[in-house]
Amino acid sequence: MSDLDDFKATYFDECSELLLDLEEQFAAIQSGDRSADRLNAVFRAIHSIKGGGGAFGFSELVAFAHAYETLLDHVRDGRIELSDPVATLCIRANDIVADFVNAAKAGTSLGAGYGADERKQFDALTSGEQAAEDEGPGGDDEFDIDFTPVMVTLAEAPEPEASVPADDSFKQAPLAVEKGHWEIRFAPHRELYARANDPLLLFRELANLGELTVDARLSEIPVLSDFDPFGIYCVWELTLISPTATINDIAEVFEFVEGNCDLSIVQLTKPAASAEPDAAAEANLSDLAAMAAPAESDAPLSFEALAETVKKDMPVRAAAPKPAAPAPAQPAAPAAPAMILAGDDPDDRRTGPDDRRGAAAMQSIRVDLDKVDRVVNMVGELVITQSMLTQQMDETLRARYQELVRGLEVLAQTTRGLQDAVMAIRAQPVKSVFSRMPRLVRELAVKTGKKIKLETIGEATEIDKTVIEQLSDPLTHMIRNSADHGIESPEKRIKAGKPEVGTIRLSAEQAGGNILIAVEDDGGGINRERVLEVAREKGIVAPEITPTDEQIDQLIFAPGFSTAAEVSDISGRGVGMDVVLSNIKKIGGSVHVRSRTGRGTRMTLRLPLTLAVLDVMLVRVGPSPYVVPLSSIVETIQCSRADFGRTPTGAKVLRVRGEYVQVVDLADRFMLATDIELANRFVVLCEAEGGNKVALVVDDIIGQQQVVIKSLEENFESIEGIAGGTILGDGNVALIVDVQGLRAPALGHKNAA
Amino acid sequence: MRVLTVDDSRTILAMLHHTLSNAGFEVLQAEDGQKGLDVLQREKVDVVITDINMPVMDGIEFIKNVRSSGEYNSLPILILTTETSQDKRDQGRAAGGTGWIVKPFDPEKLISVIHRVVH
Repeated sequence: MSDLDDFKATYFDECSELLLDLEEQFAAIQSGDRSADRLNAVFRAIHSIKGGGGAFGFSELVAFAHAYETLLDHVRDGRIELSDPVATLCIRANDIVADFVNAAKAGTSLGAGYGADERKQFDALTSGEQAAEDEGPGGDDEFDIDFTPVMVTLAEAPEPEASVPADDSFKQAPLAVEKGHWEIRFAPHRELYARANDPLLLFRELANLGELTVDARLSEIPVLSDFDPFGIYCVWELTLISPTATINDIAEVFEFVEGNCDLSIVQLTKPAASAEPDAAAEANLSDLAAMAAPAESDAPLSFEALAETVKKDMPVRAAAPKPAAPAPAQPAAPAAPAMILAGDDPDDRRTGPDDRRGAAAMQSIRVDLDKVDRVVNMVGELVITQSMLTQQMDETLRARYQELVRGLEVLAQTTRGLQDAVMAIRAQPVKSVFSRMPRLVRELAVKTGKKIKLETIGEATEIDKTVIEQLSDPLTHMIRNSADHGIESPEKRIKAGKPEVGTIRLSAEQAGGNILIAVEDDGGGINRERVLEVAREKGIVAPEITPTDEQIDQLIFAPGFSTAAEVSDISGRGVGMDVVLSNIKKIGGSVHVRSRTGRGTRMTLRLPLTLAVLDVMLVRVGPSPYVVPLSSIVETIQCSRADFGRTPTGAKVLRVRGEYVQVVDLADRFMLATDIELANRFVVLCEAEGGNKVALVVDDIIGQQQVVIKSLEENFESIEGIAGGTILGDGNVALIVDVQGLRAPALGHKNAA
Repeated sequence: MRVLTVDDSRTILAMLHHTLSNAGFEVLQAEDGQKGLDVLQREKVDVVITDINMPVMDGIEFIKNVRSSGEYNSLPILILTTETSQDKRDQGRAAGGTGWIVKPFDPEKLISVIHRVVH
């Protein structure tokens, strides 16, 4: 059912927001802010997760959240002090809730035992009060999940009758009851009206159960001089004939007015049917009548007459006391001033956040990402068309059509502005990814027995949503790596004269058209000897080569690289850091690592601000146009001035400032015929991930421009060495060269010299 | 018929909206008690369904405020809550709640409960 799926999607969205909020709340709590607002916010978050979870029958989640909520309830009303151990338990519980949410999302089960230890701790903390409460909410939860909610309230509903006098007769006469004949006596209190309950509606509902006769008892109505227009004088006696209605059905009708009225429900017995209930009713009546007794004796006649009218027009009269509620309504009126205060108070106190919330609600709308993408795409096309138009303007045209030129300039500006604005729509703060990391670090610290603190900087930095989504895995991996291999054990750190607690710093900043995200630790740095040893063992580095330190550091990203020590519970999940590289590559970014022995390691991700539009250099190879991402181009060189050489294996290399760079002739690579002499061709020197360079040989360099990337996988099929396609201003299709994909993977080739 | 739904959970608001609009109700929404009061000042509604646990102004305060104004004494207010404990429900009723619906709600039951408190 798609509606349900929609609701679930909303629920999981909401859960992630609430879980993020929990992280924030506890970050503040841990730094000493234990205000009631915080605790309430935490309680509400868990409460909401539980509430929604119940709606979808996520019973494991609900059961755990319920136990946790009980603890939080105790904490927020001060029955349990939020000591550090309790806060730690709560943080752990948040993580478990997150796990349950994720499991529910994935449609899997974590098993009944998951979180059992924590639940035991909750119970231990809340014990005492817990014994009593376990029965109630715990039991109810089962109902919440397995039955319609009404079952819960129904089960409790018969209680009111148990206390009314008529109950005895009801119990005594079960064998003699006349099936389907009920006598109901109903005397509302003022509170009933104050709560907007209405006898008429109750009678309407009763009438749905069977044949209903309503009799209004007006004997309590006083003489006019004593008549309080807001007073409650009416008592009703009802007879319900229904072969099917049960006591529960009838009780349910009065469910909402329980305690706000005198009520007796009696099933008539066959022999001497009405004697006992009547007696009971009379007893009740006399209690009530006592108050109005003088009135009754003073003016019996006039009231008889009034009674007739009322009987005929019962519903109207029944509703009549309703206006009574306002002024004298007992529970509401005296409490009112206090309530106004209480109501105003949070308002005043929280004007700031409230305004902000209000503003946010008013100023934001939810838009399907597809729609935004369509706009992004069209704006991209617009940018390209505009730049094409500008290019068409040669000097003669410029001189002749000055107005047109001016118009085009304005168009160019506006288009750029439009592009930026559209990109801003897709941009999101990296906070959404960063905020998942504290938990990771906590868990890693526990598993490794190290002491680690995480610092985050630049959480507000915004990147394209698609990039953000792709960022979580690589970051997780990098932080795992830092915690596992970077940070040393507390003993080692103390020996090395470092603070016992290691620091992992996660930062984001914008640098030009790129976002830089860095994971930095103050650990021992990369063990280069070990890395090189492993790399040689695995044949990643040829024995005769001596890589520089920087190249060794970069080896940790090489496919298949994994030091023996790395096969641990944390980092060794069958994949190495090469996953980071390939993920980042996928989104057009690069990874760079810098390590200083004994001081720490810094891994930097360089990511494009947006994925939709790419600045490229347009080149020609044979008859076809190709584009090379501008961000990867280091320089261009005329082949006549390039210093080519060959490796002992016969591979062509280019010598640039003493460095040997692998050469890829795109004409050869893509099997295109070219009749241009090598000397007239060009070298486009590109830098791939981690500073590895590759020299592309092309026929001609046409110029720079922006293109909108079209996926080849989606529109055709994936081709090695090609990152995608684009449609040029003249309608031609150009393929985007995948610089990294063209580079031969083995380090051996590159440095062969 | 117009229903004001007050809940800080988007999921619950969405489910209420779906259920109620399918049943022919016009649905207004607010995310907390304060916003609920704001809506009531602008709009006329026939019935209110409110959550208890909400930020800024919780459901109890919201109901108290609605009732204290005197203007809405005959406005039915249904408390929507997972709190099956008698305690919360009693607080809601003491504040002036007309009836209650226990989350998670059964759609048919929700509609029938509304009909129980609205003319």
